[in-house]
Amino acid sequence: MRMKSIFRHETILFLVVIVALVILSIQAEQFATIDNLLNQGRFLTEVSLVALIMTFVIVTGGIDLSVGSILGLSAIVLGVAWKKLGLPLPLAILVALSVGTLAGLFNGIIITRFKVPPLIATLATLALYRGLAEGISQARSIRGYPEWFFILGQGEFFGIPTQLWIVAFFTLLTGFILTYTTWGRATYAIGANETAARFSGIAVDKTKLFIYAASGFAASLAAIIFVSRVSTTRSDMGMGLELDAITAVVLGGTSIFGGKGTIVGTFFGLILIQILKNGLSLAGVKSDGTYIAIGLVLILTLLISNLFNRNSEG
Amino acid sequence: MARFLMEKINQDVTLKIKNATKSFAGVTVLNNVSFDLYRGEVHSLLGENGAGKSTLIKILSGVHKPDQGKVILENKEFVFNSPKEAFKNGIATVYQELLVFPELTVAENIFLGHTPKTKIGLIDWKKIKADSRKILDSLDSHDLDVNARVGSLSVANRQRVEIAKALSQKTKVLIMDEPTAALADTDVKKLITVVKRLREQGVSILYVSHKMPEIFELSDKVSVLRDGNHVGTFNIKDVSEDLLVSKMVGRPVDKLYPISKGKFGKPILEVNNFTDGLRFKQVSFKLKRGEILGIAGVVGSGRSELAQSIFGINPSKGGSIKIDEKEVSIKKPKDARNLGIAYIPEDRGTQGLVKEMKISHNVSMANLDREANGILIIFKKEMQNAINAINKLGIRARNALQLVRQLSGGNQQKVVVAKWLQTEPRILIMDEPTRGIDVGAKSEIHQLMRNLADEGLAILMISSELPEVLGMSDRVLVMNNGTITKEFSKEHATPENVGAIMTQKVKETA
Repeated sequence: MRMKSIFRHETILFLVVIVALVILSIQAEQFATIDNLLNQGRFLTEVSLVALIMTFVIVTGGIDLSVGSILGLSAIVLGVAWKKLGLPLPLAILVALSVGTLAGLFNGIIITRFKVPPLIATLATLALYRGLAEGISQARSIRGYPEWFFILGQGEFFGIPTQLWIVAFFTLLTGFILTYTTWGRATYAIGANETAARFSGIAVDKTKLFIYAASGFAASLAAIIFVSRVSTTRSDMGMGLELDAITAVVLGGTSIFGGKGTIVGTFFGLILIQILKNGLSLAGVKSDGTYIAIGLVLILTLLISNLFNRNSEG
Repeated sequence: MARFLMEKINQDVTLKIKNATKSFAGVTVLNNVSFDLYRGEVHSLLGENGAGKSTLIKILSGVHKPDQGKVILENKEFVFNSPKEAFKNGIATVYQELLVFPELTVAENIFLGHTPKTKIGLIDWKKIKADSRKILDSLDSHDLDVNARVGSLSVANRQRVEIAKALSQKTKVLIMDEPTAALADTDVKKLITVVKRLREQGVSILYVSHKMPEIFELSDKVSVLRDGNHVGTFNIKDVSEDLLVSKMVGRPVDKLYPISKGKFGKPILEVNNFTDGLRFKQVSFKLKRGEILGIAGVVGSGRSELAQSIFGINPSKGGSIKIDEKEVSIKKPKDARNLGIAYIPEDRGTQGLVKEMKISHNVSMANLDREANGILIIFKKEMQNAINAINKLGIRARNALQLVRQLSGGNQQKVVVAKWLQTEPRILIMDEPTRGIDVGAKSEIHQLMRNLADEGLAILMISSELPEVLGMSDRVLVMNNGTITKEFSKEHATPENVGAIMTQKVKETA
């Protein structure tokens, strides 16, 4: 038992992050500067918001492949509502957030009401939402947002990029919910044994609906920050985001079969992937090499963690 | 001539286990166990959970290797590296959890892994089907279609498929691990006939069961294990049930059921013409405070479905439920809980527990929202409740943080009970309350049930074990084919009376 607490997955991951930080600092001198690290934080924001809620989704034994498409759809809705429909920007933001949340809720309804496996349901909506985004945008990008809007994606508070405060807030919030509340406990119970959770009076369907809706909300919030960061709206935004998010969550030790996982793990998973991407490219490694490195680190970390966890069993 | 005689004598011992010892992570689970299994005998293996039965079986069937000791099959020493190797050499095992493949047909299941081939290497379907038919016929299962999908069969028939699979190669030793744990009484009788037939064919059978009546009906010999030690091997004719039980638990056990005071309060639960339109119809009964009402019936008679509809898991299609004479609507388990109903399901592994979670988390699971401060879990309270439950119910565990899957069956069941007692129910529905747990834990649960009833709890008990229904209940309802066909008072509930009504005109489920 004691072995287990020392070699928890999160601890191993933390050590890997430290090792990566040290090696990359030595290899690339621009890497370990405050400016660079904060800037990396900006890039990390959108995938982080999505990955935090994805942790909940995967802990219930589900998956949400549609988050990238929801991001794209919300971004387009934001642009169209503001520029084409002439809504005030704050209202357009609300509309975009609502559309994202509804898209997530729709995933949840397909999954709980019609008992479609989450992989298939969200694979379908991945195509559906992206198609909607492209249909609405007519392949035109939208620019010319007012200056104040860029505070979100390009501004800073007390020397820290604005969106990092948002990520920090949601990291603490989701970590708190998963660990300290009845909702978090229900999430774990559903993932570990859905039938037993239902037989124990836990509102299984309601919990899942809420989580998928939250996942849609997170993706649309990410969309708004994304648009603010790059000053433009395009329908292909967020493509492939789902895989980055899932990679971070799984690297963070969340079991793809459900029942296990932590926000702390996801947090380190996100950081590790981002510093590898950035550090390796600064060290002159080409992008194909970077992807190979990320793949290898993922496999190695999970192998080491499995090794320790198996040993401490029984 | 002399040599011939010697061989003949030796041949009578099919399987010899000599000084088998096995430990896991420094804990000895099997200590120097030896006994012989003769040709054409049924040898029962008795012991509480954790006594070493499973480990012994797993050594014989090639899952584990012994640390010390030998397995000698027909005078040849063996170390099996895999279950397949043991099977090839004539040791077949039928496990409690059936390992059949539901999507395959009966014949495919029987010959999976050693499929006969035609001359050009294709699967010989004709031979598979013909041989499957032959084996099933030899098991008196003429009604079982070899082309049926195994997933569509009843538990009893799946088990027959598994036995047929075991016999599809030249089997010398058949190990049966609690084969009747999930069977209704009528199916148990059939199984016993099958086992007797195998014995006549010269197969040696190692039979593991908790149920005394079948052990006495079937066995020639019985070996008892306790805490990994071999307590003794006896001829069944020389021992009594009491003696065996005391050998198993190492102390005399009160095998009598706790006595009812026979004092009941007002009816608390009233079910009227309750129907789900499919598995049960027009069910009506009343349950009084302080009473244990037993529902007897064969598996598939609709008892669990009835209980689950009362509890709000499955929807009902008609009829009413009254609690304290007020009509109530129960749409989901939480509604039921809030009305003071608790349901302890029949399958604790899939329905009752989250085995990968700690004891404390399981104990709090049904009541967590009430114990919480808003949505905040009060961990101190959760822990204290779990510790109290462990002490009150005598759950044997390292501490409240132990994972439930590491507990024995009896202790797991107590965790389920603890979880629901946490909700302070007034009506407790128990579905197979002691399935698959050992004698010691069983009598503790029975005592607990009676104590709860004496404190005023109304208990509705569903059980496939007739002795349990008759021993525990103050009143017995018999459910047959979805309806309640008869009610017996305690005095009139004899095994003959109830058994007859249970099986009356029930269609064979093939």
